[in-house]
Amino acid sequence: MRILLEKFSKSFGSTKVIEDMDLDVGSGEMLALLGPSGCGKSTTLFSICGIHRPTSGRILFGNKDVTDLPSQERNVGVVFQSYALYPHMTAAENIGFPLTVRRVATAEIRKRVAEIAALVHIDNLLDRRPSQLSGGQQQRVALARALIRRPDVLLLDEPLANLDAKLRLEMRSEIRRLQKETGITAILVTHDQVEAMSMCDRIAIMKAGEIVQIATPSEMYNDPRTAFVAGFLGNPPISFLKGTAEQGEFVLGDGSIRLPLAALSGMPDGTPLMLGVRPEHFGNGGDVPVTGRISFAETQGRENLYDVMFADGSVLRSIQPVRGDLKPGDDVRWNLDSKAAFVFAEDGRRL
Amino acid sequence: MRTSRTLGLVMIAPAAIMILLFYLMPVILTGVFSMTNMSTATGISGGAFQVTQGAVNRLRTEMPEIADAISEPRFVIDEAGIAAVEAAGLASAIAAELRTEHLGEVHASRREAERMIKALKERPSTRQTKQISDFFNRSVINTRFESREALMEGLKKLGVTLTPEQQEAMARATYTGWVWTTDNFRVIGNSPDMAQVFVNTAFYVAVTLLLFNVGYALFLAVTTHYMPATTASIFRAIWLLPRITPVVIYVLMWKWLTWDSGFISMFMGQFGHPPKNYLLDSAYNAWFFVILINGFIGASMGMLVFSSAIKAIPEAQFHASEVDGASRWQQIRYIILPQLRWPILFVTCYQTLSLLASFNEILLSTRGGPGRATEVWSLAAYHTALQNYTGNLEYGLGAAMALVLVVIGVILSLIYLRVFRYDTLISKPLIED
Ligand SMILES: Nc1ncnc2c1ncn2[C@@H]1O[C@H](COP(=O)(O)OP(=O)(O)OP(=O)(O)O)[C@@H](O)[C@H]1O
Ligand SMILES: [Mg+2]
Repeated sequence: MRILLEKFSKSFGSTKVIEDMDLDVGSGEMLALLGPSGCGKSTTLFSICGIHRPTSGRILFGNKDVTDLPSQERNVGVVFQSYALYPHMTAAENIGFPLTVRRVATAEIRKRVAEIAALVHIDNLLDRRPSQLSGGQQQRVALARALIRRPDVLLLDEPLANLDAKLRLEMRSEIRRLQKETGITAILVTHDQVEAMSMCDRIAIMKAGEIVQIATPSEMYNDPRTAFVAGFLGNPPISFLKGTAEQGEFVLGDGSIRLPLAALSGMPDGTPLMLGVRPEHFGNGGDVPVTGRISFAETQGRENLYDVMFADGSVLRSIQPVRGDLKPGDDVRWNLDSKAAFVFAEDGRRL
Repeated sequence: MRTSRTLGLVMIAPAAIMILLFYLMPVILTGVFSMTNMSTATGISGGAFQVTQGAVNRLRTEMPEIADAISEPRFVIDEAGIAAVEAAGLASAIAAELRTEHLGEVHASRREAERMIKALKERPSTRQTKQISDFFNRSVINTRFESREALMEGLKKLGVTLTPEQQEAMARATYTGWVWTTDNFRVIGNSPDMAQVFVNTAFYVAVTLLLFNVGYALFLAVTTHYMPATTASIFRAIWLLPRITPVVIYVLMWKWLTWDSGFISMFMGQFGHPPKNYLLDSAYNAWFFVILINGFIGASMGMLVFSSAIKAIPEAQFHASEVDGASRWQQIRYIILPQLRWPILFVTCYQTLSLLASFNEILLSTRGGPGRATEVWSLAAYHTALQNYTGNLEYGLGAAMALVLVVIGVILSLIYLRVFRYDTLISKPLIED
């Protein structure tokens, strides 16, 4: 089912949290709402499921306007950040709760709980209470509870935040598998860019209540609209150099680095600029040699991470296959891939 | 090591003494008193022996002749009496004539004895006759003997000799002090009055508890939970008023409301009903107001406990249940109430005990009336032991009634713990199995 937000705004008293947001999530699509803490992700999600009423604007499920519909009538499944399991009920009772309140027959509830529990691999834990389950198991109970009544829309509010790294990896693919199997439209709220990129069809990046860019993960990675987006995606993150335009070239603050860039043709001299270079585009081939000193080195197992500092104090990050010949303090002369670098105006707009 | 242990004991000693004095002693003393027949009549220190009319009546079934014998006044002309006459400075001829002519005579009444004295040669005046007859008065009826030996001595002088068994029965019947007995509990068990008071109490506690202290308190807590914050706090504050108003004033306001010239009478007067005291008019009305008065005071505590317990439920659970499709009513039934089990248990327990034990509102409003219609157990115990119209305060019986109350309270608490499955509330969840 398609979800459509039209000029959606939400404020709490005098605090405006979201203003005039437009969002279109296709049927069967999984969309990530990605953004820093406090940018309004949960607020958006809570408005979609009806816990919050929009201050203005419309919310549509398919062709149906649900703006004024109470949550009970929206048929959305929600996995809350804290799971919000009912502590006095067993896992089975928790999962069956949406059916219990719809007065579905007990036998039918038992059957469907068993089915959905098998789907999320918790069939052997159904008699336990939430306090007797691990975080990952609780999360799967919450997921099963959200899915059992076959909702039109699945909303997940940072469902993996409380899990350890390995479990998080497992649950990522598991949620994606379930979403694909059920063909449900889903919105995943997260501030973890890896989660967003690996699980979702599209990502909407939010900042201070606004969607900055909405695109597929690879589009967004390779073609960020702003410096904020470029900085948000990628691990290790992109690094920025401050400089100015001069005769179609990017010139680093002290003039020690000059890069000819196609995007800068016709730019008035002296325009302040920002250059974004991803770690994989520095030190691995490329066309413009630059000289600096290694200020930091770290191995990540398969790869090594180096920070290279230039004469004016600015830093570029480089990620390279493991090599043992470099240590902090060494001078290096590495190439930078000028075609892969992003140029941003001073206000963060991509040029 | 040793010194530190001694030091510990020394340090808790004051607390231990306080506990002993103020917590355990009252209960122990109640237990002790309940096993006696102490009353105003017996006093609480030791007693004496007195052949009262009551004692004679008690003895009459066992030994009718002796009972008759001791109940009559007796005037015995003996050496002791004659010596007293001599010492009194009357004409010595009187004493001499009594010794020679009348020694050993027993007169069954004062009149008979005085006729004999009047007939003496010396012709004593009426006043002297009275004085002389007193010296020979050997009656035991209404005479107080300080010890058992003195009683037996007195009886012997009267010419009554008793077998050891009879002496025993006599002593028991005439003892005026308190004795150890289990009669109090027999009285409680057998008296129809007590049964009525018991039924009153059960009715009063059950109805007030269910309707107000738990029921209405839950209703208030749940409804205020769904109200905007400020409205909710105003509402709660209003319901606290009866609790924080001094009880005497609060009950007085109810009396103003209900008495002959009060608001209800005035209001009903508009419809042609003659004014009357609505509080004490009938047993139904009395109960109605007693329960309202106590209920409005008692509901506030449950309301506060339940409100804070509901507040402690994470908000996310309400959000989750809403998107799960639960209506308000289902939210209350499936999310709120199950998580209020412990507070409900606590309030039920606490309020049962306090309703059982407290009677000040009833005392101030109906005094247990009309008749004894609203007399509850604790009020009856108070009336029995501390304040009644006959003036004979039966401490022993009152203590026994209080003890019964304690036992009932303990039994009820144990039942509540079972019903609410306290064990599952306190047992820790197992994470491994
Ligand atoms: N009930 C409320 N009253 C007032 N302000 C609120 C309320 N709920 C949220 N806000 C504000 O709205 C903004 C967005 O909050 P929201 O919970 O949507 O953030 P979020 O993006 O989910 O952040 P996080 O990643 O930390 O969960 C925050 O600045 C927050 O302070
Ligand atoms: Mg959030």
